[in-house]
Amino acid sequence: MNVRAPQSNNVVIQSLTQIGNCGLFLLTLLMAIPRSFRYIRETIRQLWFVGAMSLTIIMVCGLFIGMVLMLQLYNVLSIFGSTSASGMVVALAVYRELGPVVTALLFAGRAGTSITAEIGLMRATDQIDAMEMMAVDPIAYVATPRFLAGLLAMPLLCCVFCAMAIFGGHLVGVTWLGIDNGTFWSNMTAVVVVHTDIVNGVLFKSLVFGAVVSLIAVFQGFTTPPTSEGVAYATTRTVVASSIAILALDFVLTAFLM
Amino acid sequence: MTDPVRATPDDSTLVRIRGLTTVLNGKTIFDALDLDIPRGKVTAIMGPSGTGKTTLLKHITGQMRADAGEIRVNGQNVADLSREQLYKLREGIGYLFQNSALLTDFDVFENVAFPLRQHTKLPEVLIRDLVLLKLQAVGLRGAARLMPNELSGGMARRVALARAIVFDPMLILYDEPFVGLDPVALNQVLKLIRTLNQTLGITSVLVAHELEAIKQVADHIFLIANGKVVAQGNPMTIANDGSPWTRQFFGGEADGPVPFQYPAGDLAQALGFTGAAK
Amino acid sequence: MSQQRSSYAVGTGLFIVLGFAALAYLATQTSSVANVHQGASYTVDAHFANIGQLKERAPVKVAGVRIGQVQSITLEPGQEVADVKLKIDNNYDKIPLDSVATIYTSGLLGDQYIGILYGTSKKTVADGGTLALTKPAQQLEEMIGKFFGAGGVADNLGGTYSVKADFTNVGALSVGAPVKMAGVPIGSVQAIVADPVKLDAKVTLAIDKRYNAIPDDSSAAVFTSGLIGTQYVAIQPGGSPDALKDGDEMVLTQSAMQLEDLIGKFLVNGSSSSSSPSSDKKDAGNGKSSDTPAPAGKH
Repeated sequence: MNVRAPQSNNVVIQSLTQIGNCGLFLLTLLMAIPRSFRYIRETIRQLWFVGAMSLTIIMVCGLFIGMVLMLQLYNVLSIFGSTSASGMVVALAVYRELGPVVTALLFAGRAGTSITAEIGLMRATDQIDAMEMMAVDPIAYVATPRFLAGLLAMPLLCCVFCAMAIFGGHLVGVTWLGIDNGTFWSNMTAVVVVHTDIVNGVLFKSLVFGAVVSLIAVFQGFTTPPTSEGVAYATTRTVVASSIAILALDFVLTAFLM
Repeated sequence: MTDPVRATPDDSTLVRIRGLTTVLNGKTIFDALDLDIPRGKVTAIMGPSGTGKTTLLKHITGQMRADAGEIRVNGQNVADLSREQLYKLREGIGYLFQNSALLTDFDVFENVAFPLRQHTKLPEVLIRDLVLLKLQAVGLRGAARLMPNELSGGMARRVALARAIVFDPMLILYDEPFVGLDPVALNQVLKLIRTLNQTLGITSVLVAHELEAIKQVADHIFLIANGKVVAQGNPMTIANDGSPWTRQFFGGEADGPVPFQYPAGDLAQALGFTGAAK
Repeated sequence: MSQQRSSYAVGTGLFIVLGFAALAYLATQTSSVANVHQGASYTVDAHFANIGQLKERAPVKVAGVRIGQVQSITLEPGQEVADVKLKIDNNYDKIPLDSVATIYTSGLLGDQYIGILYGTSKKTVADGGTLALTKPAQQLEEMIGKFFGAGGVADNLGGTYSVKADFTNVGALSVGAPVKMAGVPIGSVQAIVADPVKLDAKVTLAIDKRYNAIPDDSSAAVFTSGLIGTQYVAIQPGGSPDALKDGDEMVLTQSAMQLEDLIGKFLVNGSSSSSSPSSDKKDAGNGKSSDTPAPAGKH
């Protein structure tokens, strides 16, 4: 619970300590999963806050990503007279990279920060201690439900994001720029493979990103000094650490999955 | 919640602390502290700020582990308990936090119902009756549907008290229950502490500074300083026991065993006079 | 609170359903074949000898306007014929029975679609009917041959005469590649065979009879159009008064330049070996003169 990194001036040592503590915290979280089953309602409630409340931003951003991607691709591909391939490129780009990565970044900004701030404030106002005193395990009641909710919400959000991006691409490409509707879909269906693109790209990546973002968010919330200043710093750290972790992991995952 | 079978042989003492030693960040908080909290009484623990009174409460509930010594609550050694046993023990202890620590997600009713929902499978009707009874006891039945941020400090503390007693605990720990209360709210809380102690026979431990308030409610006072109990007795006798600690603490003197100055070097040297003169 | 709780549960349930709906949408609509319902339509069969790169859902057009899409492509059992089912909008139900369905390509690299050229018959194709007249997909190689060459070799056989030329290296020159003079196609490559004695490539050029005054000391060179384009044979006219005749052999030839040689030439900034200076100049102009370091004297 009170994992606190020993102070050191060395940035490398500090970040290594953070990563190490984060890993230990993950173990604590995972071990608390069986105990948190009795708080299944709390997990559902968090799924609402973490997932459903992020829907708007995810949908809007997905729509615009698809639209702008299609616009750019159309301009470039028209040089080669193959604008009909733009739908396919939008789908591949979104499924393999943009969908999971952008969703995860948005998720870190929208849900990750709110998780960190909420837990930090719960600690600052002794709510966590109060739970301990009421014989409710805060890891099982507060941390694990949020972690699981983030884990489950990310793939779903990513699917919604991708669908909206395809819709946005269709809107710009077919409705506005006049790419043939059938060609748009036939090119897409011809190259998109369920296993590599949707299962490995969309679902697997977003599952990993969801785990990483919610782990970092919960960890920062639990380890920050319980003051308003500490909460503010922790929120910032959640975004920074999540973004770096997402992009670095994305490279690793892509290298492994390709 | 109390298990009568496991009651201590010495039935008059609920919490027995022997040789408690705690070192936090290189600073000795408790130095072989011995302390007995009598069953069914209101015990006040006083002392200068920073003597670790809150830490002592956390030791009793097992939230912090001592470096040495032994704490027995109702005959059980807190340090020996597993997580499940510790949680079982805590169900019999109510804890009133200084800033109430109501769960901000829930309204007053759900805050009080929270321990019941977590630890029992009582039917909704029964939970409702129990919660309303406890809220009635603290005079806030009408505020059941307010959210914590809509409550004043005194109301929040009463809600927290209702939550602490919802399981009819054997022991309530009050951490600074009078801080930041206006005289009316203070008297309400005082009345509640007394009533709970008298009607339900709940052992109460108060950590506070307000001497006048404590005199009205406490049966026994411990004065802690430098990691030890420096004076104890009932409110009438303790002020007159003649030790310099009690004289300073109850007489309100600025300087004494508790120094006015934080430990520092020679002032003249710090200002540079000594060096310049030579 | 219990109301609050159930509303969370309902909202979360909706969120999960929406997520899975999106997943189902991605998995079915964008990755595997699924028919999109777009109003009432009827189906027409067409048999093609070769469908090229035609895909399901490719558009069906009349006069360039989309009237439907390809529903399915199957191989006729026991026959070397592709059975293509066209799903045509009910608004366009007056297609004459003798219309011709052709597989076209939009642009050189674009996607293929089916174009229908209306016939004159009074009868129209009904639902489940067949368009009997079809033209298969054009293969890119043939099309290139048509674009650059003087039409299909077989078609113009009567109108050409043959000239032979020996090359030490023909590179990627293929049969049907154009023969050009001054950049204008005048014939095509008829055959490329290796000479077992001289150990070089003997290329037969079919040249249109209209161009019967090519001097017999002209040279032939294998060039590449652009850096990565197709190769063709360029004829540089000589100064001889006699003209090439059917069956003649061209003596002066320049083999295909390998890309590596070209780059090497550019880099060392000199002409290592070239049988004709003019071809060298043309090569430089044809290639990437702007990228080449020009000789120091020219600056």
